[in-house]
Amino acid sequence: MTSAQCLLRMSSWLDKWREYFLTWYDEGGVEAKAQEAADFACRYLDGGVVSVSGGKDSMAMLHIIATRCGGDVDVFHWDHGAALMPRRIEDEIMLNIRAVAPKARLIVRRYSLGGSERARVDWRPWYDEFFATLEGLGYKHHVLGIRAEESNRRRGRGRVVDRGRWVEVHPIYHFTWRDVWAYIFKHGVPVPRIYYLYAQHVGWDRARLTTFHDREFEKYGNQIDSVLMWREKNYVEKKNSKK
Amino acid sequence: MTPLKVTFLLRTPVALGFPWIFFDSLLAHVMLREELGERYYSLPTKIPIDRVPELPLKRWGGVYVASVSIFEPEAELAVYQFYKRGDFPFPRGKIRRGSGFFKDFIVRAPYVPAHRVVFYATGEAGEVERLVKKVAALGKERNVGFGAVRDVEVEEWGQEWGLVRDGLAMRPIPVRLLKRYEDAAYLAYKPPYWAKESVDLCAVPFTHVELA
Repeated sequence: MTSAQCLLRMSSWLDKWREYFLTWYDEGGVEAKAQEAADFACRYLDGGVVSVSGGKDSMAMLHIIATRCGGDVDVFHWDHGAALMPRRIEDEIMLNIRAVAPKARLIVRRYSLGGSERARVDWRPWYDEFFATLEGLGYKHHVLGIRAEESNRRRGRGRVVDRGRWVEVHPIYHFTWRDVWAYIFKHGVPVPRIYYLYAQHVGWDRARLTTFHDREFEKYGNQIDSVLMWREKNYVEKKNSKK
Repeated sequence: MTPLKVTFLLRTPVALGFPWIFFDSLLAHVMLREELGERYYSLPTKIPIDRVPELPLKRWGGVYVASVSIFEPEAELAVYQFYKRGDFPFPRGKIRRGSGFFKDFIVRAPYVPAHRVVFYATGEAGEVERLVKKVAALGKERNVGFGAVRDVEVEEWGQEWGLVRDGLAMRPIPVRLLKRYEDAAYLAYKPPYWAKESVDLCAVPFTHVELA
């Protein structure tokens, strides 16, 4: 199959799904859900920060907040580094955040070991550094794109979680995967193109943006990365490779 | 050394752990298994093997003249998802398999519903044939039935297509060995393919190259 044939096939596949999600936007009452999520989130933005990974959930949430609560918000993005997040995807994420919330005050922190191979196999330093960074930011509220449907653990968390040093807030907690995609297609929210590749193979409900080639996610079936993201499998930044 | 075409006729689709299967790696696997016998299945963790057997294949600049897999007919990748129980010494009594330490693994096996897998290589025909006859299944997840081999054919081939065919790289070739290349990525180019020592900046299989 030539690349032109592949593109044509993908385009027709995407058109069918777009139609499905746009229909769901009306049938599933997504507009009302988005408005409710915005009303809920707006209450926590004073002294709060919107944490955006760049995945579909956080991008939909950022769009809801930026368009309905005013774009003048603080946005935090954690860059996992080249070993865990290929640079082409990271660049796309940054462009998407800027496009959705141009007036936002964007705070980006990069994982210090994120360029090394160690980042793929030892995730303890990641947790230490990530939570120390969050604490260092000093915000009262962290607004996250977590959804109850994602796992039993997340379902058990609730919409507002007091973490002691800060409070976690989940505006799109009651959204389903259909709602999120419907919102994205309806409002043209930009998401990394890698989603479409994964959605074709694993389905829209299972397509997620997590770190790639990460041993931590092995038990969730991430070996598919080695086939779909083979180009990045052996890539590490030389300067950090001995850490 | 004779240019060869090796065709595996399949009974079931091939599950993959990487977009391609490497022919030299397949032979190395069979030779090691022959050499080590049952010990092959209890290799040490840190350094599983300290050397790779000398393969009956021609070398060019440190690279074996052996292509990556060509799947026929060309088919789209599909995904089969199943749950795998961990290899733990399970305790007596009830354990939770839905969560916690003994939680089952999700395996998402990407597979190609191909009928044949073709490799081109240059090597000792008799020895290559003897080794490939020992391959019962190709690819990953062989223990659940993927990649079962029905038959294998080894033919002498008029042209040496193990490295380059009509200007296209047939395997990862380090760019230092090339005059020109269209696309490059960090890829392993020699067995063992899992070792980072085998990784170099290489021309990507099935892209245009010119050997130096």
